[in-house]
This record gives sequence, C-alpha cells and structure tokens, in this order.
Amino acid sequence: MKKLIALFMAAAMSASVLAGCGGSSSTESNSEGSTGDWSYIEEKGDFVIGITYFEPMNYLDDSGELTGFETEFATKVCEEMGVTPKFQKIDWDSKEVELNAKTIDCIWNGLTITDERKENMDISTPYMENKQVMVVKADKASEFSADKALTSNVTVVAEKKSAGEDVAKEEEYFADANYVSVDSQAKALLEVKSGTADVAIIDYVMSIGTLRDGSDYADLTVVEDMSFAPEQYGIAIRKNSTETLEKLNAAIQKLADNGELDNIADEYNLKDLLLVEKSK
Amino acid sequence: MDQFINVTQQLLKGFGENSFIFIITLLLSLPLGFIVSMGSRSRFIPLKLVTKFFVWIIRGTPLMLQLFVVFYVPPLMSGGGFNFSRINAALIAFVINYAAYFSEIFRGGIEAIPKGQYEAGQVLGMKKSQIFFKIVLLQVIKRITAPIGNEIITLVKDTSLASVIAIPEILMNAKDFSMQGLIWPLFYSALFFLAFCGVLTLLFSFFEKKLDYYKG
Repeated sequence: MKKLIALFMAAAMSASVLAGCGGSSSTESNSEGSTGDWSYIEEKGDFVIGITYFEPMNYLDDSGELTGFETEFATKVCEEMGVTPKFQKIDWDSKEVELNAKTIDCIWNGLTITDERKENMDISTPYMENKQVMVVKADKASEFSADKALTSNVTVVAEKKSAGEDVAKEEEYFADANYVSVDSQAKALLEVKSGTADVAIIDYVMSIGTLRDGSDYADLTVVEDMSFAPEQYGIAIRKNSTETLEKLNAAIQKLADNGELDNIADEYNLKDLLLVEKSK
Repeated sequence: MDQFINVTQQLLKGFGENSFIFIITLLLSLPLGFIVSMGSRSRFIPLKLVTKFFVWIIRGTPLMLQLFVVFYVPPLMSGGGFNFSRINAALIAFVINYAAYFSEIFRGGIEAIPKGQYEAGQVLGMKKSQIFFKIVLLQVIKRITAPIGNEIITLVKDTSLASVIAIPEILMNAKDFSMQGLIWPLFYSALFFLAFCGVLTLLFSFFEKKLDYYKG
C-alpha cells in the first residue's frame, strides 16, 4: 500500500514537471489569418492596452485615477473601434512577450517605431514625434553648446538599448565622452542628480513629466537648442493583424480630422509634437 | 504633505500585494515542503529520484525565470487560449519555489535526530508513527526554527520579484514615482520591508524562547 502511494506521488510529480513541455501541439494559432486577430478581439469585446506609468503619457493623478495623453487618446480610439479599453500595467522589458502571449492586445505607451520592431509587430501610423535631449544640472547648462564637443572627463548616461544610447554612441558630439548605460531613463536622471554622471540623454517627452517644478529633478534642466535623433511614436499590435491595424488607423485618422486628438494633446502641452495630418 | 500621504497610500497598496503573496506562500509552501521532504527521504528509489530532480530544477533556476515560465509559457503554448491570472501565476511560482527550499530544511532537521532515539522508541514498543510524532517532530521543529526564520525573511523581500510579471507591488509603485520625478519613494519603501521583517524577527525570537525548555 505504501509503495503504491509512493508510486502515485512519483507519477504525479513527474507529470507536473513534464507538463511545462507539453501542449506545444497547438502552435498553429500563432499564424492566424489576417482577420483572426480582430475577430478574437471583437469576440472578447475588450482591447487590453499594455502601458507603464510615466508622465505625461499614462500616470495616476492626485486622486489615484489613471490619466494622461495616451490614456485619453486610447479611450477615444477604442470608442471609435467599438471595443472597451482595458489598461494593463506591464513590465516594459517583457512587452513583446505579453503581446504574443495575448495577455495584452497592444502596446500603447510612447513606443518608438524602429525597423526591428516593425519586423516583429504591426505598428500603426506614427501619431507623435519625439526626440532625444540632454539633461544636465541647471547651474551647468551654460557650459554645453553645439559647437563644443564633449571631452573625455564628461560622463554621459542613457538607458540601455534606448534611442538615447544610439545617440551617445553614434553622434560626433559625444565621441570623446565617457559613456555609461543604465537600466532606465529614471536611473539616468538619478545619476546626473547625484553627480555620478554629467549628462543624461533621455526622451523629450519624458523630460516634460519629470523635470517639472516641484519634482525632485527640478534642479536639472534640458540643454536648449540641442536635440538629436527625431523619432516617431506608434501603437504596436500583433504581427499580421491587418484588420485590427486598419481599424486602429482609421480611428486615429478620424480623431485627427474632427480635432479631438488636437484637444487632448493640447491639454498635456504635446500639440507641437503631433504628426497625424488632417485628411482633406 | 499631500504628496507624502499620496505616496504612502500608493506604497501601502503595493505592500498589500507583497503581504498577500507572503502569507499565501507561507501557508501553502510549508505543508508542501513537508510532503516533498518525505519524498526525498523515501526508501522507494523512483520517488526519491523524481523528488531530488524536482528540487534540483527549482533550486537550480532563478525564481525570476520561474515566474516568467508560469505566467507566459501556458498562453504562448496555447496561442492565448489559457493563462493564469498574474497573481495566481506569482503564487504558484512562489509556493513551488519555497516548498523546495523548505523541504531541504525539513530533511536536514529530521536527519539530524540520532538513530538511537528511534531505536529507543522501538524498544519501548512504540509504532513508527508514534516515534515520529511524539519523539522526533518536536525536536525537529526546535532545530529548524532558525533556518526557517531565515528563509521566511528572505521571502518577504523576494515578493518584490513579482513585479517582473507586472504585479503592482511596492517597488514597482515606487519606481513609477521616479518616472514622475520623485526619487525618495524608492528609498522610503525600504521602511515597509524593515518594519515587516522587524515584526517577524521578534515573533521568531519569541518562538525560540518558547521552545527553550526543550533542550535537544
């Protein structure tokens, strides 16, 4: 009897260990047809939007409500598409995994359009422009100018694998400077504030939210008249979901035409950065 | 001041998630760990091997990776057909991981009891189960209190790993504040962990005192 129980336990355990390897037979669903993804979303009725919190895109206001440019924009777009928006906070590093695992239906959080991302995901029409700016201590801002390249005793930080890092590595201006990569843009600012680095290269959009008066970074400033690598924001959805993409783009165009997109952007001081042209 | 209250509220909300994961993990992984330790001490070789293999896999891979596997592998395999909720995935990973560690502590504790005590029990005509529960178990509990306490305190801090599958726990909330230009919440969050671990430390020294009458 005891042996029988032991045998059963052994079987149950090995089954649970092996369970992780099973189930691979249903891989065909990865390459659903062009209509597959939209009908999946339509059937659920909700559109799960993967976000992280950062001002002014998606953040919690003083009463703890989710708000921001992307939040309002996405809510309007979902209204046009006839689905309910559901905001899901994600870890930015696993955004592609989340999308493919269908735990989210899109990434909508100031996602920069790159060739690499276009290969792996479908991306909407660019709706907003962004650029990389230099953040330094306010009292030292006058020391930096475009005609004087940085020397080797200046330390530059940027987020690993970000557009800022590309700028630091490729622009002539930074060629002699000492470069250090950190794991987030917030960390890059912290380095400058604490004096362990002199210059942080971050998104312009990010600098709007973080360097405002009353924040801990109020003593930092963006170096004026110096910006690099303009880039564009888009919304990423699963690869080969043509119909979802069409609906998404149509909804964005409609909001641009009726002026609602302008209004939302205006509210967050982002109007100058909008890219969607009104259709005639 | 408003800001301080707002930050405290958000961090507390996050710490609620940490505490929830902590409590459920503790409640489930201790008994599961005991069962696993029985398995790894079994005289039935296949069961023993399977259990040892299981413990090797769980202790030999990072908990962060295990969280990823539990949450992302089912939907990736089924094309989005099935997934655990984020919190359930976290609980499954934590319970299994901690059960593996606890099982080894239990095993060590049980094997530390001298064979002579079993023999003495047999001489007195006690049944095997009587020997275990009446003679061995209490001594084991006393011996393993310190290592278990160590592991439990590690668990408190490990709960913040749940943020890799986007559970809004305290460190994740604190990091969000740094995206809004506030640095101090990140350091402030340490106080929550310190307070929690402080209470646990007191609790454990109380237990150890209670068990003091029992000189093993």
